Amino acid sequence: MELIELIKGRRAVRRFREEPIPVEHLKKILEAGVWAPSGSNVQPWEFILVTEKENIERIKLISPGLFGNPQTLVVLCINRKRAEKGGELGQTTALMDISMAAQNMMLMAYSLGIGSCPVVSFSKTALRELLNIPDFVEPVLILSFGYPKFWPKPPRRRPLREVVHVEEYGKHFEG
Amino acid sequence: MKSTESILRDKHFQLLSFLITSARGCVDEPKLYGPLRLLDAASRLIEIMEEEGKSTDEISKLKELIEENIDILMYDEEEFIRLLDNLTRQLAKIIKNQKT
Repeated sequence: MELIELIKGRRAVRRFREEPIPVEHLKKILEAGVWAPSGSNVQPWEFILVTEKENIERIKLISPGLFGNPQTLVVLCINRKRAEKGGELGQTTALMDISMAAQNMMLMAYSLGIGSCPVVSFSKTALRELLNIPDFVEPVLILSFGYPKFWPKPPRRRPLREVVHVEEYGKHFEG
Repeated sequence: MKSTESILRDKHFQLLSFLITSARGCVDEPKLYGPLRLLDAASRLIEIMEEEGKSTDEISKLKELIEENIDILMYDEEEFIRLLDNLTRQLAKIIKNQKT
């Protein structure tokens, strides 16, 4: 599949089939995350892989934004000690780095026929407690994965003409 | 008292957990996530009512309407608000048709 097809085809999937994801596919998804760019190559991320059904159910209890019955969760965390290496900008950059890793993972998943959904609506306090996450590691995003019951329709995208400014702000893209 | 293991599977406890974590989340989340969480909670409550034999066809239809349309907020805010109005109207009809 062409890259642009992967990018345009990926959807936020919130309803999953009861079908486990093979370990080799999970490994590919996690590797895609590790290969994301990061500011000053700090690689401030820690990924917590959760596949045990009972653990997923516990996390669902404290995550109002986590829908459906995903087969796997990956909790993306910022290691604040590593992020410090990025100087004063490090903490902000770390969030960008995590976001790029997340996109890599979701695209890799989609290329394997696996749906995903980024979730920020969860209780950080409760998740820290459940997963024994130390203070210097901050969970910032949960990705849910599973085989979709269906691929949702794409939401409207703002057109290039509205979003893109050419050479200076306000000169809209006409191409 | 129930054991910890069984309480995790208890639908009331699941709803309780959802309500508390949603309350905290709503402090920081977009404004319309409040109604979204309340609708989700309503759907969960109807599910409990169904399991306990306390629901009616009309009430269960509210749950179907919520489940089929709850994602709409991600695509169309105005449509989501129309959904809230519709659900409210349907609820009022249920109340109106009840004999006291």
